[in-house]
Amino acid sequence: MTKYIQLLKLSWQNGFVYRTSLFMWRFRQFLSSVMSLTVWTVIYTSQSSVLGYDQTQMITYIFLSAFLQSCILATALNSLSGRVYSGEISAQLVKPISLFGYLAIEDVADKLRNIFFILIETSLLYLIFIPTIPLPTLLNGALFVLAVLMGAVMNFIINLLFGAIGFWSPDTWGPKFMFFIMVEFTAGKLFPLDILPPILEKLLYLTPFPYFSFVQTQIFLGRLDSVQIFWQLASLAGWIVGLYLVTRWIWQRGLRDYAAAGQ
Amino acid sequence: MLHRFSYYFHIWQRWGFNALQEVFVNRGTNLLFFSGKFIRLAMTLLVLLLIKQNIKTFAGYTNDQMIVFFLVYQFVENISSIFYRGVYNFGRDVRNGQFDFDLPKPINPLFRALMGNPDINDMVFFVISSGVSLYILSTLQLTITAASILGFSLLLINSFVIVTALHIIVLSIAIFTTDVEGVIWMYRDLARLGQFPITAYLELMRFSLFFIVPIGMMITIPAQLLMNLPLSYSVWVSVLIGGSFLGFSLWLWNIALKNYTSASS
Repeated sequence: MTKYIQLLKLSWQNGFVYRTSLFMWRFRQFLSSVMSLTVWTVIYTSQSSVLGYDQTQMITYIFLSAFLQSCILATALNSLSGRVYSGEISAQLVKPISLFGYLAIEDVADKLRNIFFILIETSLLYLIFIPTIPLPTLLNGALFVLAVLMGAVMNFIINLLFGAIGFWSPDTWGPKFMFFIMVEFTAGKLFPLDILPPILEKLLYLTPFPYFSFVQTQIFLGRLDSVQIFWQLASLAGWIVGLYLVTRWIWQRGLRDYAAAGQ
Repeated sequence: MLHRFSYYFHIWQRWGFNALQEVFVNRGTNLLFFSGKFIRLAMTLLVLLLIKQNIKTFAGYTNDQMIVFFLVYQFVENISSIFYRGVYNFGRDVRNGQFDFDLPKPINPLFRALMGNPDINDMVFFVISSGVSLYILSTLQLTITAASILGFSLLLINSFVIVTALHIIVLSIAIFTTDVEGVIWMYRDLARLGQFPITAYLELMRFSLFFIVPIGMMITIPAQLLMNLPLSYSVWVSVLIGGSFLGFSLWLWNIALKNYTSASS
C-alpha cells in the first residue's frame, strides 16, 4: 500500500512540473464554463423555462458538468498509446507493481489535481453568477457519488482501450478525436442530452456516452425516480464489466505482440 | 511584388500537394477526422435550431441573427485552420531543432511556420460546410443587402488579418517558451466564445474580447455589418485594431527570432 501512496504523491507532484500548461488547461475549462453560463443566463432573461429546464436546473447542470469533467473525464492516460508504441511502458512492466494499478494511480492523481482547481474555479464562477443550486436528498446524493465513481472507472477502462492501439499502430488520434467529439456533445457543458430529439437520445443510450456525466447530473437534480436510477446504474455496471473484459483480452494480446520498440 | 507573390504561391502549392499525399497515406485517420468535424457541425446546428424553436430573442438578437453569428464564426475559423494548421506543430519543430533548418532557406521563416502545413481535410470541409451555411442563410429571415455583403466581404479581410496576427503571436510565444500546444488551444477556446455575439458577455470579458484578444472584431462586427445591425464599434475602429495587432505581432516575431537559441542543438 505504501508504494501506491508514494506513487500517488509522485504523480501529484509530476502534474505541477509544467505549470504553464496546467494553468492554460484550467483556464480553458474556466472559459468554457463562462461561455455556457453566460449563454443560458442570457436565454433565461426572457423566459422562465426552456426545453424542460428552469433556470436553476440548467445552471446547476452546467456547474455539475464542469465538476464531473474534472472527476470523470480528466485523465492522465491521453498519451498512453504513444507510451506503448514507443516502448516507454517497458520500465513499468518490469517493476513489482501491476501496470493497470500504476496507471490507475496516475489517473487518480490527475483527477485530484483537477478537482482541486475546479473547486477554486467553481467558487469564482459562483461569485460571478451567484446561482441557486438545489441540493439532492441524502439518498440521491449517495447514488450520485456512486455513479460518479463508476463513471470514472468506465472512463479509465476506455482510456486503457485507446492506449492498447499503441501495440499495433502509432496512429491513434483519429479514433480519439471522434471520441472527444462525441463526449463534447453528450457530456458537455453547453446543453443537457435530453434536449435532443428523442430518437437521437435513445440511440445515444445504446452507447456509454450518457454515463460520463449526463446520468449523474440527472440523479443529482432529482429528475430520475428510484427505478430509473437502478436501471441506469445497472447499465453503467454492465458497461464497466463488458469494457473491462474486452480491454483485458486486448491488452493480453497486445502484450504478447509487444516488442518494446526503441528501448 | 507580383513575382514574389507567384514565388510564394508556388511554394505553398507544393506544400499543399505534399499534404494531400499525406492524407492518402493516412486514409482511415483522415476519414475519422473528417467525420468528426461533420458530426460537430451537425450537432451544433441541431442545438442552435432547437434553441431557435424555443426562444424568441438572445441578448437583443433574433434567433435567426444568432445563427448567423455562429455561421460567421464557423467560416472564419475554418479558413484559419486551412492555412495555419502548421502553427499547431511549431512548438515541436522548435523543441527538436527542425526550425533550425527553415532559417537558412530562401523563404521567409514566418511564412514556413505559418503556412507550411495546409489542412486538406479542412479544405474539403470548408467547401461542403460553406454550401450548407449558404443554404441555411437562405432560409433565415434577415435584412441582407448588396452593400452589406460588400462591407462584410471587406471586413472579412480584416478578420483574416486579425487571425493571422493572433497566430503569429502564438508562434512567437512558442519560440520564447518552446510550448505552443496550450497557447493555440487557448486561442481556439477564446475564438469559440465568438459563436455567440460578444455583446452578450460580462463587461470585462466583452472589453477583453474586443480589444485584448479581438475575437469580437473578427466575428461579431462583420456579422453585424452583414445583417445591417447597429455595430458595437465602427468599421474604422475594427480596421485600426486589426492593423495594430498585425504590426504588434510582426514586432513580437522579430524579437522572438532575435532571442531564438536553437533549443535542441
